[in-house]
Amino acid sequence: MSQSISLKSEHKANELFTTFYVGNDFFGIEVMKVQEVTGSPRIISVPLAPKFVRGLINLRGQLATALGLHELFENKIQNTENQMSVVCKLDGNLVSLIVDSIGDVVEVNGKNFELPPDTLPPNIKPFVKGIYKMEGQLLSVLDLSRIGKELSPTMEQNVS
Amino acid sequence: MAHVLKLLTENQYTQEKVENIYRDIHSLKGAAFLYSFNEIGVLAHKMESQLEAVRDEVRAPTKIEIDAFYIYLHRIEKHLKEIFSDNENGNENPEKGKLAQEVPQAVINKEKMSSELIPKIEKMELDKIQPQQQVKSKEKEAEGNSTIRVAVSLLDNLMTLMGEMVLVRNQVLQFSSQSEDLEFLNLSKRLNVVTSEIQGEMMKTRMQPIGNILNKYNRVVHDLSSELHKEIHLSLFGSETELDKSLLESIKDPLTHIVRNSCDHGIETPDVRLKSGKNKFGTIAIKAYHEGGQVVIEVSDDGKGLHKENLIKKGLERGIITSAQVPNLSEKEILNLIFAPGFSTAESVTSVSGRGVGMDVVRTNVERIGGSVELESVAGKGTTTKLKIPLTLAIVPALIIKCSGETFAIPQIKLEELVRVDPSSHENKIELLHGVPVYRLRGRILPLVSLNNVLKLNSDKEKNQAYNIAVLNADHCSFGLIVDEILDTADIVVKPINRLLKSLQVYSGATILGDGSIALILDIVGMSKTVQLANDKDAGHSSEVNSKNQLQNIHRDFQEFLIVRLNSPTMHALALNDVYRLEEFPITRVEVTNKMRVIRYGQSLLPIISINSLMGYGNENLEKNEKVRRKETLSVVVVEKAGLLYGLEVDEIIDTISTDIVVETNLALQKGTFGNLSMPDQVIIVLNAFEIINLSFPETTVKPVFNSGYSSLVSAKGKNLQILLVEDTVFFRRELSKILKSDGHEISIANDGMEALQILESNPTKFDLIVTDIEMPRMNGFELAKSVRGNKALSAIPMLAISSKADKNYTDKGLKAGFDIYIEKLKPETLLKAVATLSLPRKVA
Repeated sequence: MSQSISLKSEHKANELFTTFYVGNDFFGIEVMKVQEVTGSPRIISVPLAPKFVRGLINLRGQLATALGLHELFENKIQNTENQMSVVCKLDGNLVSLIVDSIGDVVEVNGKNFELPPDTLPPNIKPFVKGIYKMEGQLLSVLDLSRIGKELSPTMEQNVS
Repeated sequence: MAHVLKLLTENQYTQEKVENIYRDIHSLKGAAFLYSFNEIGVLAHKMESQLEAVRDEVRAPTKIEIDAFYIYLHRIEKHLKEIFSDNENGNENPEKGKLAQEVPQAVINKEKMSSELIPKIEKMELDKIQPQQQVKSKEKEAEGNSTIRVAVSLLDNLMTLMGEMVLVRNQVLQFSSQSEDLEFLNLSKRLNVVTSEIQGEMMKTRMQPIGNILNKYNRVVHDLSSELHKEIHLSLFGSETELDKSLLESIKDPLTHIVRNSCDHGIETPDVRLKSGKNKFGTIAIKAYHEGGQVVIEVSDDGKGLHKENLIKKGLERGIITSAQVPNLSEKEILNLIFAPGFSTAESVTSVSGRGVGMDVVRTNVERIGGSVELESVAGKGTTTKLKIPLTLAIVPALIIKCSGETFAIPQIKLEELVRVDPSSHENKIELLHGVPVYRLRGRILPLVSLNNVLKLNSDKEKNQAYNIAVLNADHCSFGLIVDEILDTADIVVKPINRLLKSLQVYSGATILGDGSIALILDIVGMSKTVQLANDKDAGHSSEVNSKNQLQNIHRDFQEFLIVRLNSPTMHALALNDVYRLEEFPITRVEVTNKMRVIRYGQSLLPIISINSLMGYGNENLEKNEKVRRKETLSVVVVEKAGLLYGLEVDEIIDTISTDIVVETNLALQKGTFGNLSMPDQVIIVLNAFEIINLSFPETTVKPVFNSGYSSLVSAKGKNLQILLVEDTVFFRRELSKILKSDGHEISIANDGMEALQILESNPTKFDLIVTDIEMPRMNGFELAKSVRGNKALSAIPMLAISSKADKNYTDKGLKAGFDIYIEKLKPETLLKAVATLSLPRKVA
């Protein structure tokens, strides 16, 4: 991925990210990968599903699977009010990432990119593709394909 | 083009028509020669001269001539196709392309013209055929002038966008009803009407007239009738009936089969027909029409029909029915025999049909798309086959139910009936059979399952209320599902859910209900499986915890061995966990490379290690083993070590045993063995497969892999440690703890990662070192390492991975997961050294 970023930075030094917060942590997804951001939707829970699968959402007649990033990252800070949904398309399926709050769309420069440090907590690290150093804070770029793997159980079996 | 000839076949001959065809063929010839397509030109020329004779003599063409025309046409079509494909492949000759466009134009023209002709002879047929042809010529024109190709995915996208638009429309309407602005009201009304219309038209885009495939059968029937020396007419009705494109494709093959059957088995030869007082021409009619929300395709022939006696006789011959059943068979059941696999009524197998693979394939294909097949037959009068096809695939009738406030859908196909049980009544109640609820349904015991329990929901339903039971049919076994509330039946649109949710085995999809809420569709077959599993577990829980543990322990203490015979009076055994596969190879497959015996095995070479020579038993024949020796096959135990396969040659593979007898390692041992197993009747030597491989191929020994902070093993004796040993296999657990204890360490044991984590969490400071296997149930070594490293209280404890899986993939993963050292399983020295190394404080890298 770092390769494609460097490639892009040749044409256009800056990249746009949709940013959001999970607890106090600051995350971002490439703008082009986000379909839309909606307010807290009505989630139909799916009994027996893993905890991080919050349920299904009716997104204007299409089904989206709601993933609680809070639960996925095992974030300790409790905040379930005013959660927002970031809708992305993953392997042809709609996925709604439930986040605590939405930030701005930020423009970052490829030269401020760095791989995530090894000491990140193990439940977050696999999902972070890299870090952008911004003024005042660090932006963690989410690896959507890794989250997609979490949703395809065959891959999980390979790991175990 | 074929169409023209069909008319000719039916002797609807006119002078004018012949003229038309003649002209077309002539211009085709001209065009072909002009662009130097000589093959087509020559073919057209031959056709032309043949037709000339017909034209000049002013007579109907003979059957032979018509057959010849069909053959010519077929060849020309083939050539055209070749030209088209050449063209697509970027052929350099632009002229070809031009012609390719022109020629079909000529063909189309001809079809158009001829179909406008009015048949002269055979007035009987006139009424039937005339309207049909008009429809066709219209279609042809439409196709020629105003069709474009559109990708199906584009249509699908349009459909979803349409759905969004409808929702927006609804919102606008709602908003406008509160508004006082007249103009806005007007506009929103118009928006409403237009949107509904667009929606209706959108639905039609995927539909295609069934005539698209039915017309192909003209040719099929013609070819078959000349092959079988029969005279058969095909008439099509309702070819404008529309059907979803994907469904259309999937009924093509079954329909072809039915038509072929009718031609071969149904219609008699002309002389037989005349004798039985029928018209010389047999008729096959294909009708398509709408009925009750389904499309019905009816194929009927006026042939000899099915003889019930014949069906019964064949059924008995093939063992599909027994003679005792015969008197009880209803007419329908007898006819349905034809759908049984392997059934054929034809006296002999012909190239056309009669192999008996037919009708059951037809039925499975049709049922796969949610349709059904029905058969009616009157002996001597004919047979009618009815295919009932749903309009589209995505809509399923379902029962909507509620449980603990959540809505679910059950596909109607799986539903047998609904039963309501009032607990206040005495005769009609749910009984407990060994703690499992059952219900007597018309004298049959029906096992009951509560959806609340299956999905682990907390029902707020009060007890002593009536129970609603949905009797479901899952893979031929029925069970009753207790639900809180039964709401309604509805046609639902199935939406797929992602793989993770599907892997729960309880849901097959989801649907959006009329009010915009979501209902999960229950996967009845999957659920019946999980229910059985859950019950097994529940039974375990209900018994006392102690006894359960005991049971488990007893179960776990059994270790399985593979018993093999070597060139020695004593039996030998290998731990079954080490065995990858058992193989027998012919001696001739053994090859020698680099002084090593190998066998080609799959993609790679399998090195063969003779345990006999390694253990010093020699390869000479012991007399009693002579029989074994003379065998021409090689018995090989395949073992995987560090990602590679090795073959251990033994004299004979005898059996597997399961025993709780402990392997004794006290006796001074040979290399390559673990110890002895003292069975009641004999002593068995337990071999160490990995050590044997190491002895044969010293270079394959896997070097320990280190994480940062450690670089090599220290041989110095470290201090005595508190070690947590995590290992699921009894055998290795014992071995490992023995080795560790021998070095003065104290050992605690966990059976898997989950248990280890519990022990660690309850006592985070106790242990100096964790030694763990990788492959374990519930929680494997990698996961354990990650969890330990992620837990602040535990993250400082050194971790040692010890596994038979020690190729690079695994070791890399291990280091990533947080292991300090990764070593290969069961080399006592390495193990002790690694433990000693880890007992020292970590060097700062």
